Amino acid sequence: MRISLKPFFLSIMVLLILFPFVYLLWLSLSADWSFPQVMPDYFGLKNWKALLISETGLLRSFFQSVIISVSVGFTATLSGFVISRNIAYHPKKNTLTLLSYFPYIISPVVFGACLSYFFLKLGIFGQMTGVIVAQFMISFPYALIFFNSFWGEKTKNMEDLVSTLGGNRLSSFTKVLLPLAKGMLLVCFFQTFLISWFEYGLTSVIGVGKVQTLTIKVFLFIREANYFYGALSSCLLILPPLVLMYINKKYVFNKLT
Amino acid sequence: MKNKEKHIGFILFVVFAVLPFTLAFGYALLYSFGVIGIVNEGFTLKFWKEVFTSSTLGVSFIYSSVIALIGVILSVSLALWIVLKYRESFGNKYLSFIIYMPLAVPGIVSAFFTYQLFAQSGFFARLSYQLNWIETAQQFPDLVNDNWAIGIIITFISLLTPFFILLYLNIYKDERIEELSQLSRALGANKKQIALKVSLPIMLKKSWVLIVLYFIFLLGAYEVPLILGQESPQMLSVLILRELKQFDLTKISEGYVMAVLYTVVIMSATVFIFSRKKLRNNAY
Repeated sequence: MRISLKPFFLSIMVLLILFPFVYLLWLSLSADWSFPQVMPDYFGLKNWKALLISETGLLRSFFQSVIISVSVGFTATLSGFVISRNIAYHPKKNTLTLLSYFPYIISPVVFGACLSYFFLKLGIFGQMTGVIVAQFMISFPYALIFFNSFWGEKTKNMEDLVSTLGGNRLSSFTKVLLPLAKGMLLVCFFQTFLISWFEYGLTSVIGVGKVQTLTIKVFLFIREANYFYGALSSCLLILPPLVLMYINKKYVFNKLT
Repeated sequence: MKNKEKHIGFILFVVFAVLPFTLAFGYALLYSFGVIGIVNEGFTLKFWKEVFTSSTLGVSFIYSSVIALIGVILSVSLALWIVLKYRESFGNKYLSFIIYMPLAVPGIVSAFFTYQLFAQSGFFARLSYQLNWIETAQQFPDLVNDNWAIGIIITFISLLTPFFILLYLNIYKDERIEELSQLSRALGANKKQIALKVSLPIMLKKSWVLIVLYFIFLLGAYEVPLILGQESPQMLSVLILRELKQFDLTKISEGYVMAVLYTVVIMSATVFIFSRKKLRNNAY
């Protein structure tokens, strides 16, 4: 009789997937956990209570990250949608699309380091505005590429129909194109939100430690060897995407495809 | 009126997408030739010569490429194996959600988690101690900040594999590979032939652009090698940033030479990918 390894393998896979979440939560609830102990001396809500203390700055970082990511997601999605139309109908569409890939594909931290001089000159270096602008510069090309597939013969025919029926460009956008692209707009917003939410390198270069988003906090805690707060920041970083995914998993998947 | 709108759209595209990249590249280029920069005295090729005579960048490039290549190959292989062998199980309500969960973990958290597990005072070292496999933390093998970049590769695999599993599940469905497999079986093909001659070629052909793109992303990865990498050699982004942020101002131009070279390689790779396949078919 042949034994099926399938249930065994699938159980291992589920355990491997869930383990990081459980471990990080466990670590965030722990303290006084030195080598070679497998279990911590303290297990409780001490670290989570510290969240509310201004000294850790975690709550502030959380809300700062939310403001930055929502701003980036909103502006990149809206401008990407409007401007992608011009790219899609442009005679040199392929060249322009290729150009929009460059800032998206290059390492954000190298891109940010080469741009930091201009941010300094504009007076937005080390400021939240600077971080939002910098993250917009990598999210906007993504939105352009994302909406590329929306504009085609079918959309053009609809626009022509609106025009024939006496509608202007504004009514074409508000009454036809935006409702038609509602699903894609929502998906793009979540993707660009996540690009910003996960961003570390660019934020560290442009924010120069003054703008402390959650990813910056995680790194700072790792450097300080404060692994319990590091785990706590990690939990805060994972939670929103996880909730979004629970609401609709397709938002996250489309980010990467 | 229509033409005016077109022009505004095009100008905005240039301002938001093309200009920042051009400015960044132009600035790095001018700095690398000594034209700008606080301590630079004018046009010179000496920084380029110094970068080319030193092996640092070359070694870092090879090191990064090998790590990225291993990370991508192992992730893609693992994802393909899982999808071809266990795809029916992903129809399960809970598993179909659980498989998405790793996508909520950013690179920096993944690197932190790997460090927590595999460091010499990490979770596995503690377990090994309790099981009497080791007597001191130092006896536990170096798996983070190590010579072989094992920690970095493990993290890359943990970040990429779930994505590729989901991608291949979608391709399998969209390309109707199940139906093609049944047809092949009816024509006399065995399991191995179906996998090697039907399923794999279709899945790889449909995903090759993304595979190359992910190789490029890993090549420029920053936070994972920053946490899990060693002092030397370093991965490209970490090395470039180290050079650009150093205290010796006379050496900064060399950092910009590296940034220019890295950007040129990435641009060439992107042009190559999209000249091989029409953008319209590849992008989303």
